[in-house]
Amino acid sequence: MKILAFDTSNKPLSVAVVVDGKVLAHIESTEKKTHSVSLLPDIQDGLQEAGLTVNDIDLIAVAKGPGSYTGVRIAVTVAKTLADTLNKKLVGVSSLKLLAANGDKKHLLVPLMDARNDNAFAGVYVTNRDGRLLTVIADHHTSMANLFETLKQYEPNELEFINATPRLQELIQKQFPEATIIMSENSLPAAGKLAKIAETTKPVKDIDNFIPTYLRLTQAEHDWYAKGNKEDKNVSYVEEI
Amino acid sequence: MEKDTLIMSFESSCDETSVAIIKNGKEILSNIIATQIKSHQRFGGVVPEVASRHHVEEVTRCINMALDEAKVGYSDLDAVAVTYGPGLVGSLLIGIMAAKTVAFAHNLPLIKVNHLAGHIYSANFVTDLQYPFMSLLVSGGHTEIVLVTAPGVFHTLGDTRDDAVGEAYDKIGRILGINYPAGKKVDQMAAKGKDTFNFPRAMVQEDNLDFSFSGLKSAFINRVHHADQVHEQLNKDDLAASFQGAVLDILSNKTFRALKQHPVKQLIVGGGVSANQGLRKRLAEEIEKRHMDMELVFPPLRLCGDNAAMIGAMAQIQYDKGDFAKLDLNADPSLDFDME
Ligand SMILES: [Zn+2]
Repeated sequence: MKILAFDTSNKPLSVAVVVDGKVLAHIESTEKKTHSVSLLPDIQDGLQEAGLTVNDIDLIAVAKGPGSYTGVRIAVTVAKTLADTLNKKLVGVSSLKLLAANGDKKHLLVPLMDARNDNAFAGVYVTNRDGRLLTVIADHHTSMANLFETLKQYEPNELEFINATPRLQELIQKQFPEATIIMSENSLPAAGKLAKIAETTKPVKDIDNFIPTYLRLTQAEHDWYAKGNKEDKNVSYVEEI
Repeated sequence: MEKDTLIMSFESSCDETSVAIIKNGKEILSNIIATQIKSHQRFGGVVPEVASRHHVEEVTRCINMALDEAKVGYSDLDAVAVTYGPGLVGSLLIGIMAAKTVAFAHNLPLIKVNHLAGHIYSANFVTDLQYPFMSLLVSGGHTEIVLVTAPGVFHTLGDTRDDAVGEAYDKIGRILGINYPAGKKVDQMAAKGKDTFNFPRAMVQEDNLDFSFSGLKSAFINRVHHADQVHEQLNKDDLAASFQGAVLDILSNKTFRALKQHPVKQLIVGGGVSANQGLRKRLAEEIEKRHMDMELVFPPLRLCGDNAAMIGAMAQIQYDKGDFAKLDLNADPSLDFDME
């Protein structure tokens, strides 16, 4: 199985070409590059390094969010267009699950994406005997206070927070001094791991309707619903003219 | 016989996702347009984050519909073109990433197209362009007079100093209780009303080719607010006619000033506001009144708004010149002619 995997859901960019479980090419960039500029050249370089053409690929694996809205859109747009235009299989993997893959297998893993104002996107994962990540608490957008409340049921020294920013680290240390904290710079999402997770994930059935997992409404929609408006199922908000 | 050129073009600069297949820059084999108007009407205007999300939902569907309708496959294509600016950055990026991906996957040359150039070249589907020609670009984002001296060679002669004309329509439309986009309704009301309010015609006395619509918009809003305060009933059709009367005076004054400085054989009007019936009538009358031997070209209504067909028309010129982009192409939200 030849897999092309990539992730641009946060500041780092990661591209990997994995053939039968072996990482043949791995391109990582942590410095602030523009994902929209780098992604396709990096894919091109990765394939070249692996000695493959894009036609040789069997499966496209993409981190589908949550994360930076623009970031996940860039990767998801490239992934769905590539899969559609070349008739390849497509797998979308949670960006948080991908971060959890950096954790210690013995720990209860809490991958995070800082969503500002002491909020985060977070999920809770464990690693099973086969080394696969299982969801304990589904990815969601939460205040850190609510997340801590949920996590109180677990042994604090078993908790491992992954991808913490300095502010999140400060909050976590106050609440769970015994917990393990992996900072952002030490938990880069690796597309090689993304390819591995993708191998055991069901491919997307309907590529046209594959969209990022934002886990949050836009502010405009949030306000609109808050005013008591209801989505009209009979109206299609986008129509062909 | 020369071989035909088939270009797949993408447009996603604002709230329309569009993919077209264009033959030789002249013939539309398909031009799929998915509009998000109904979504943004919930909010009274285009919300950028909502627009970007819709583009991701639509993009592959539009690609496949464009191929199906044109009855062609990827192997028939010669190039892929895409709008890279101006526009909303989040929206532009979806078309750009999709276009780059198709170009990369099928090893096709990539062409980056200026959205404004696309609007001008909508006329390519209507007439044979004769250089130099004058172009009046009127939309929700732009109000420009552009002289086109050769294929793909643009000189901006005049620009708006504040609001775009279509933006002014939407703003006064809101005062009249019309949801975005207000242009068509205001145009219809204006046809029924009379220009009785004497709104200011900004900058028409000035010897330049620039526009300003914010003063007109403010005068309109102040007049309505004043009437509300004193419980005076204003005739909405007359308000619309007075607003549009001022807009048409400004647009035609500057356009014919430009034409006097640069006599040409064709005046091309493009952009969303080129669908305005009042504008179409007014420019035709002015040409007749001045006995000018000049062809007036408006795109068909379907090509006035944003669409990928026009991007394909412009892309053909760049294809012929070998003007290709690389896979590191990025969006340029504030792109203008003079920056290229
Ligand atoms: Zn436009």
